[in-house]
Amino acid sequence: MNKLTLTAGIGMIMALGAANALAGDARSETRMDIAPGGIVNVVNSAGSVNVHAGSGRQVVVTHTTVSSKIEVDKTITPDKGRVEIRTHVLPGQKLSAGEDRVDLDITVPTGIWVTVSTSTAPITVDGFRGDTELSSETGQIIVRNVSTAHVHVRSVTAPVTLANITVGHVEVTSSSGAVQLINVSGPSVKIGTTSGNITYQGDCSGGGAYAFTTHSGAIDVTLPQTASVDLSARSVNGTVVNDFPLQTKSHTSFVTKSGSSFTGTSLSGSSSVELQSFSGRIRVKKQ
Amino acid sequence: MNCQQFHEVLPFIIENGGNGEEEGHLRTCPACAELVQDLKYIATQAKLLLPMHDPSPRVWTGIEQSLHHQGLIQEGRTSLLGHITTIPMPAKSWTPLGWAMTVAAMVLFAAVLINYRPHLFPAQSSAQNMSAQPVPLEGEDQRLMSQVSQQAPDVRRAYEDNLREVNSYITDAQQAVDQDPQDAAARGHLLEAHEQKEMLYQMATARSLP
Repeated sequence: MNKLTLTAGIGMIMALGAANALAGDARSETRMDIAPGGIVNVVNSAGSVNVHAGSGRQVVVTHTTVSSKIEVDKTITPDKGRVEIRTHVLPGQKLSAGEDRVDLDITVPTGIWVTVSTSTAPITVDGFRGDTELSSETGQIIVRNVSTAHVHVRSVTAPVTLANITVGHVEVTSSSGAVQLINVSGPSVKIGTTSGNITYQGDCSGGGAYAFTTHSGAIDVTLPQTASVDLSARSVNGTVVNDFPLQTKSHTSFVTKSGSSFTGTSLSGSSSVELQSFSGRIRVKKQ
Repeated sequence: MNCQQFHEVLPFIIENGGNGEEEGHLRTCPACAELVQDLKYIATQAKLLLPMHDPSPRVWTGIEQSLHHQGLIQEGRTSLLGHITTIPMPAKSWTPLGWAMTVAAMVLFAAVLINYRPHLFPAQSSAQNMSAQPVPLEGEDQRLMSQVSQQAPDVRRAYEDNLREVNSYITDAQQAVDQDPQDAAARGHLLEAHEQKEMLYQMATARSLP
């Protein structure tokens, strides 16, 4: 290969690299050791946040930005107890549409507490074994395959989906985002919305307390025949429909009214299920 | 010629037709062409409306005779010639018994209204359904919205709508608690409503990017 060809090849590679840098699309990976029982705080407005379980004692953060006006700060305290991952606009910079997008992929060891806060970025937590606290204004929130953990979710309009969560302490507060639960069980499952619909498919197992409360959203619960529940449903102005076989309770804490409330038990009534709506419809049916 | 100019001369076009420029605009503008077509149709149909005329007295006489013959009207109400005859009726007056019964009914009705207490929640309208117009936010809610709009106008609408809904929730729940303070479900709704509002405030004031 002569000198001219070699020079041309090097020049082309350098030009490609410069073009890539100018385009602002940058990908970076950072690894940080974290102490057992530590916490990872993630704040990212737009783009996406994916959290999943990893081995070892390192938090691995891979981020992709589309603009050089955005910076991703990754800091860790001296005792390695807290990792902060925050995206922000560089001082003096103005963003155009889509420039604030940052895609974060975070691998977290077992037993670490993770908090994620976004504006429009969807959040996905998958296969994680630790406490999580997630909040998003409009980005979809998905949590699946989580066990023995506290899961706290807050949403303004973001739709929330929880799937395959066992032995969980689950609390979801959503203003108008719909909340869907599939095979979610544990000692405590508390869902509250203002106008968002609540949909539950599962067996309400674990002898826990399940409480679904909404102002004007609809509540739809689908249970298998093997579900052992002590169930009560009340709607002030909405309708209440029961298509699930229940035994009438001999003693109730409120007066039932056909079409507005019902109560009963299935099998031994291990889990307590309370469905409350102000003006929304409540329906319970068999799988 | 644009549509605005065309609309200014539209009445003359309906009456007398258009000139070359106006006809040319009609050929190129489907909206104005359809409008002219509709107006011409209305003008044509309006000419077909005929003035109403009252039937002659013989018609009314014939109708009365027919009704009388079928027994649908009583003899004496009208004469065969169609004249209306006034039959004097005894003047109606309230007897003392009638007055007593009326007063008793009013007292009973008032007693029912005052003492009626539903044992469940009353079938009250939800506050959010009582008015089609969005209720303006006030006080702290308005200050919160002004802060959000400075940071992100695009999410302001989401917070505004949800604040109104949660305020309706609080109103409804508070009414239920006021009517029956012992109702645990009502208290639960009120607590949940305030937690919803607290969440909105926390999220609005802790937004990430400026």
